[in-house]
Amino acid sequence: MPQPCTVVIFGASGDLTYRKLIPAIYNIAADGDLPAALSVVGFARREKTDAQFRTELEEAARKYSRQGVNDELWRSFADRVFYHRSEFGDLEGYKSLAAQLEKLDAERNTRGNRLFYLSVAPSEFPGILEMLAAVGLNKTTEGSWARVIVEKPFGKDLKSAQALNQVVNDVFPEKDTFRIDHYLGKETAQNLMVLRFANGIFEPLWNSRYIDHVQITGAEPLGVEGRGPYYDSAGALRDMVQNHLLQLLSLVAMEPPVALSADAIRDEKVKVIRSLRVMSGADVAANVVRGQYAAGAINGKDVPGYRQEDRVNPQSMTETYVALKAHVDNWRWADVPFYVRFGKRLAKGGTEIAVQFKHVPGVLFSRDSDIGPNVLVIRIQPDEGISLRIQAKRPGASVNIEPVKMDFHYGTSFGKASPEAYERLLLDAMSGDATLFARRDEVEHAWEFVDRIEHAWHESPTPPVLCEYPSGSWGPGEADELLARDGRAWRRM
Amino acid sequence: MSAIETLAFGQPVEVGQIGRALKKIWETDAGATTRASLVNFAIVCRGIEAMKKNTVVISEFTSQHACRALLAGIAPNGAGEPKVSAWINAHCHLSRAGAKQICCEQISFLFEGHAESRMANTLFANLDSDLPLYLWWQGEFPDPIDETLWAWVDRLIYDSFEWKDARAQFSTLRESIERAQAHLILCDLNWARSLHLRQALSQMFDHPDNMALLDDLTMIRIAHAPENRSTALLLVSWFAAQLKYSNATADGSGFVFQRDGKLPVKFELSAEAGRSLSLCELMSASGGLQVRRDQQGDFFRVEVRLSGGRVYHHLLPAGSNETTSLLLWEIGGGSRHQVYRKALEVLETLL
Repeated sequence: MPQPCTVVIFGASGDLTYRKLIPAIYNIAADGDLPAALSVVGFARREKTDAQFRTELEEAARKYSRQGVNDELWRSFADRVFYHRSEFGDLEGYKSLAAQLEKLDAERNTRGNRLFYLSVAPSEFPGILEMLAAVGLNKTTEGSWARVIVEKPFGKDLKSAQALNQVVNDVFPEKDTFRIDHYLGKETAQNLMVLRFANGIFEPLWNSRYIDHVQITGAEPLGVEGRGPYYDSAGALRDMVQNHLLQLLSLVAMEPPVALSADAIRDEKVKVIRSLRVMSGADVAANVVRGQYAAGAINGKDVPGYRQEDRVNPQSMTETYVALKAHVDNWRWADVPFYVRFGKRLAKGGTEIAVQFKHVPGVLFSRDSDIGPNVLVIRIQPDEGISLRIQAKRPGASVNIEPVKMDFHYGTSFGKASPEAYERLLLDAMSGDATLFARRDEVEHAWEFVDRIEHAWHESPTPPVLCEYPSGSWGPGEADELLARDGRAWRRM
Repeated sequence: MSAIETLAFGQPVEVGQIGRALKKIWETDAGATTRASLVNFAIVCRGIEAMKKNTVVISEFTSQHACRALLAGIAPNGAGEPKVSAWINAHCHLSRAGAKQICCEQISFLFEGHAESRMANTLFANLDSDLPLYLWWQGEFPDPIDETLWAWVDRLIYDSFEWKDARAQFSTLRESIERAQAHLILCDLNWARSLHLRQALSQMFDHPDNMALLDDLTMIRIAHAPENRSTALLLVSWFAAQLKYSNATADGSGFVFQRDGKLPVKFELSAEAGRSLSLCELMSASGGLQVRRDQQGDFFRVEVRLSGGRVYHHLLPAGSNETTSLLLWEIGGGSRHQVYRKALEVLETLL
């Protein structure tokens, strides 16, 4: 169990606090994993009393908590939640925050341990961090700690990421900086290492001799959902691939770490990102497809095209879909392509990794007909689980072979529901375990890879076309061709 | 549609919430059931009544083939605002092994107004991942067909018996599949109707003594029910494709085919009340072979007449011509239907 501490949430009146952070902390308490002395302070600009804040949070918790809300437990939990109103740039507000934290330390014996959660736009980071440093809240006394959690996006390119990381590390050392990527908090993402390194059957096959290729897919039926201005300046590559999907790729491709410590694991992940083959402008044109959704139908309902979305430039060239073929240039993965795709307004939502094994030789059963390959699918969301497709003979006198699926669902296999990603990540941050958080060098190397693609798109005199795809489809036909050229096809989700 | 009518399809759900609602069903289950699925089995039909009938078919189908069933009903009047409604239910059967019930999910959709164009996306969004998709298209194919459907279909099931203009339907289907460069398996239930007869005929030629009949064959006589001429034509096409007959010319109610270096073979088709295919008789200079099915019987009575006055009799199963039985046989067999594809090439010249 983590040490007692105070969690300070900057941007406490934002959506994330209500939908994710408070329900997560409450659920940790409901599971009995929260230190009894823990307090939460919400820091935001809006005028609000503690009572108002608690009432609003209770409503949200009832709606979003995975295990509902127990009245008695909520009362006990809410007594430990406070609201602190201040402008982010107002030094006085930070002085009074410091005083409040000291008071809580004294009352609740939280021993000066603080976890600052920056649930604000990156543009607010420098101001908030400067103020925290000005009032000494980043400093700790013997035996206590001060940590900071920062939400994505960690910059919009390598240069801005480096600058942002410098700003954060000027105030908090890297060991106390926790860059949150909620994908890494998903049960299946954590299970990836268990699958690979706690089972004898997979790791011997986990290489270019047996694996044909890997597909990593992030699919959303949703559009930009009111985030038009942000999304139009970011796009799918920066918003999803740079962080979530490359993190998953590094977990699939990494070598076994020397230990299960945060740095040992992250060392191996960084090596993967650094091994990604550098793409020239011509490589980008050949190996990356970008698309933008047009009007169509999702779940039986008409939806507008991207350019018709609220507060989106009607001539926007921002990609809402990206598919790319990457190579990890190391001994293990020589000649094994990693196909990565993400798209908005696709037919179905889900994130998954599909490891496709090589076809059996064209003798015996596959002499006269195609037999599909074995595929190991790791479903990150929804319906977290793992499935393995194998071939089986149909019952009967003749030999007819059909694929069958061995399926493991977290939701039904274990009696206990999986914790939300934020629960695990908050608990880890309180405990000082950074394994599931992105390290500075991981983030910067990922930006380096992505920047080359962005440059090819935006600075080439002959940029690749922006392909259109109807909402509710599986993306542009050009993405299918990307795999068809190699004699492969995207997996059916 | 009234609430009572929709009960046949199970619990109504928002189209976007189907996955969540299905998950809930299995999470609340006490463990006495097992969800099973080996294929995605989709049916496209027209109208509520057809949807109800198909729900019964699905129930029967799932007792033998674990699947996720997707039933897409297109409301007959295509006017008005597009609307898609959805329902979920489960079909459970006691397993052969004992106490556990094996359950399969059924997702039903009703497409009203101009919502037909949304069918492919809606079906694709609700497939059980990684499993093959068998699509049973009931009735006639529209022209043009939404070719995006073919991208994910592994096995396309239809019944050419139902088509008014088989020539146009086969041509539309072939062209659309060629355009989409799809590699799907075609399963015609009308072809399955002649399966047992074809098996009975083939078996007779496993015996080397009988092969001589094929060499000096002069006529093949086929009796079919008046509405089953298309079934008989498929049988003719099978003979012609397998025995490499060519250059068909119409001859009365039948056809004459040419053979390399041998006498032509005449096919005589006659419509007779009774079973879909009640008789197939091969006549040659050296003898003959007759396969006959009685009006009520479940078997084919086979008579082989060879030179020297030798006569042999056999009794072989004739199978059922019920649509559900044909479907179960079709799916259970898992054939890739390469012979059917060859027969189709001949059939298009006969239509």
